[in-house]
Amino acid sequence: MGNFELIWWVLALPVIGFLIQSLLGQRIVGLFGRTYGKKVAGTLAVLPIAAAFVLGAGLTLTLLDMPATSRSVVMTLFDWITVYSISIPFEVVIDPLSMTMVLVVTGIGSLIHLYATGYMAEERDYTRFFTYLNLFIAAMLILVLGNNLAMMFIGWEGVGLCSYLLIGFWYKDIANAKAANKAFITNRVGDWGFMLGMFAIVAFLGTNADRFPTGDGRYLSFDRMLPVLASLLSENPGIATLIALLLFVGAMGKSAQFPLYNWLPDAMAGPTPVSALIHAATMVTAGVVMVNRMHVVFEFSPVASGVVAVVGTFTALFAALIAFGQTDIKKVLAYSTVSQLGYMFVACGVGAYWAGMFHVVTHAFFKALLFLGSGAVIHAMAHEQDMRWYGNLRKYIPITTATMTVGWLAIIGVPYLFAGFYSKEAIIAAALGNHHATFLGGSTEFTGWLLLVGAALTTAYMTRMTLLTFGGAQGRWQQPETYEAAHADHHAHADHGHHADHGHHAHAHHHGHAHEDPHGFFYTDEEMERREALEPHEHHHHLTPEYKPKEVPVSMWVPLAVLALLSTGGTAYFMEHHHAFQNWLYPPFGGEHGTGLTMIKGHPVIDPEAVSGHPHGMLGNKMALVGLSVLVMLIGLAYAWAVYGKRLPDKEGFDMSRWAKFRLWAMNQFGYDAFILKLLVYEGGKTVGNACAALDQKVVDGIVNLTGVVAQGLGGLARQAQTGYVRGYALVMLMGGVALLVYLVSALSGGVR
Amino acid sequence: MTGNNLADYLTLGLIMFSIGAVGVIVRRNPIVIFMCIELMLNAVNLTFLAFARFTPTTAALADRAESFMSGQMMVVFVMAVAAAEVAVGLGIIMAIYRLRNEIDIDEMNLLKG
Repeated sequence: MGNFELIWWVLALPVIGFLIQSLLGQRIVGLFGRTYGKKVAGTLAVLPIAAAFVLGAGLTLTLLDMPATSRSVVMTLFDWITVYSISIPFEVVIDPLSMTMVLVVTGIGSLIHLYATGYMAEERDYTRFFTYLNLFIAAMLILVLGNNLAMMFIGWEGVGLCSYLLIGFWYKDIANAKAANKAFITNRVGDWGFMLGMFAIVAFLGTNADRFPTGDGRYLSFDRMLPVLASLLSENPGIATLIALLLFVGAMGKSAQFPLYNWLPDAMAGPTPVSALIHAATMVTAGVVMVNRMHVVFEFSPVASGVVAVVGTFTALFAALIAFGQTDIKKVLAYSTVSQLGYMFVACGVGAYWAGMFHVVTHAFFKALLFLGSGAVIHAMAHEQDMRWYGNLRKYIPITTATMTVGWLAIIGVPYLFAGFYSKEAIIAAALGNHHATFLGGSTEFTGWLLLVGAALTTAYMTRMTLLTFGGAQGRWQQPETYEAAHADHHAHADHGHHADHGHHAHAHHHGHAHEDPHGFFYTDEEMERREALEPHEHHHHLTPEYKPKEVPVSMWVPLAVLALLSTGGTAYFMEHHHAFQNWLYPPFGGEHGTGLTMIKGHPVIDPEAVSGHPHGMLGNKMALVGLSVLVMLIGLAYAWAVYGKRLPDKEGFDMSRWAKFRLWAMNQFGYDAFILKLLVYEGGKTVGNACAALDQKVVDGIVNLTGVVAQGLGGLARQAQTGYVRGYALVMLMGGVALLVYLVSALSGGVR
Repeated sequence: MTGNNLADYLTLGLIMFSIGAVGVIVRRNPIVIFMCIELMLNAVNLTFLAFARFTPTTAALADRAESFMSGQMMVVFVMAVAAAEVAVGLGIIMAIYRLRNEIDIDEMNLLKG
């Protein structure tokens, strides 16, 4: 048991890495010179995360050796908050859920760190990048390991901060700064819900404090809180719904679900390793992790579970449709991430929490792979991100092509051979077979059927992306700036949110900064050019059909290869085989009171038998579902091959005005983003601003002015006394003297006769 | 000393003080106002002296100079202060005259609110 102390090293190593990078990073780079400085600094950034992964793997093995009933260890470092009888220690929980996430975060995190040492090699602010990245890992570990909601919230906010810092990494370009702000502010809405949920839990538990076993006052620690919450919520389903929905608002913000998803595509303004690590593999799954951690609350509220399932389904389909209209390779992957997160929430909504986590893991593999692959493509294609100018890349970058093909096959769910199949199948089976959730009084079985439709869409848009990038001819390679300059009139109105696409090198979008930047914080066009002239990496290749894309260096393709290996069916097969992963997260124990819940050292788990998701009716046979999945996959493949197999269709050419209506509509997110921006930011902001201005000018200023007017009036009265004539003052003085005298005489006359 | 008692001196002082006060209030020439102020100060001096002179001397107080000298001392102080005041005041009047070519105090109403 002693070696569970090592968990503190898992937490401390990224913090140490963060301190090294932030305090000593530039010095190290300076010390080792031009050639080795960044390599040494990069190694110092990768090593702590890799070491944390090794320690985490060791701890997971220890946990696996323990009997399933005792796989929950709480480690306390110090007393953090003590208020009256409540104490909130700084404590972590080592259980299957947290260790699964620790392995994903540190494992994929170290691979992406390694990749970033190559991808960011020419970056001036190299150590600043790794400072943020290491800090992110530390915050994410606190989020998944924390044993109370307060600690989870630290991590929750910490990863939000790092996400903000990294989206705005190239902060001198106002588009990136705006994207970072959008992410941060949208997440604030979610955090509002999460905090209200926490407050609701505290208030609810506070009125039922007598239900706690007397002890050390750790009322908010999960191992204390969840059993009490479970027994209380079974008596108060209304409260369960309230808390569950509030917590889900938090999950919606962090995990980019429908009303709050629109920050994630803009977050692609950050460097590609960031997109892979934060905005695909780890941070955006925090909502799923939180729902898993708090699943007792959702367990007792079929209504809230139904809402989760329906929101997840809608997001999965909506984002998949938007992906058809995207031309930026990273945006396609961003919408794909939003869509896949929708799948995870459907799993949680229908009660198959383990399937949600299963998809978190497999999705982390293949989506990190796809993002890193897209980074390699962008790297090779002179920082061009528009797929319409790609083509025939399989000839030039074979390693990237091979690994990204694995990612593509994994996400479209090629049966048995690739990872995505297993988790997607588990989700759809649970959605079709389970009646845990109810929405508006009915079953949510329809979500499963809709997810099958979503699978066809996913196959279609991912195949489109793959064919446009690696297939076709290279005659399409050209510099979009040249094109855009000639056709600026078409572009001016065509794309609303497109501005964040190209990161720091998007010259076409630099115009107009002077107008958007009243404070002069961001570079003007001239300053940007001067800066790029000083920094060698900013030179622009000319993308012509004769251009030679270069394969990525070894530090970048090794992570690709490892992730490709993980994305094949092997890992997922062993996780799915004999319900291994399901039993790891939620061991079978036989439910209590028909809720399917039981407690393992204070952590409620679900009886998998209650939620194992046996499809019924025509899908009673598992093979029937596999057949159906293959069928929808083939439909998607056939469509994509028919349209994109040979070349770029005319309707997706360079001239946006000739695009198909649907595609234009989808590119603009069906008007949702513009609508929200207009409603809440521009129009709504103006309305609120006007109201505030009116309140300030009329009421607040009115009160201030009133005091002035009153003082002025009183002063005007007093002013009359000041005649300016000396004799007037003398007379008043005299009268005063006489009055004093009269008073004294009359007062004293009694005594001195 | 016959025929003179305290009340007579005080009455004279009162009359002088009243004349002075009325003069300060009604006159417009600052020189005359100064003279009236002097008149008031001298009325006070007279009162001091009268009280000092008519202070009853008891056996216990007889050997203590301050029992009858304090009034006289006060008069000396008042005279000194009055002289200083006149010196300053006349200076101010001169300055005003140089500035405005007149010394009618009804024209000096810059403090009017």
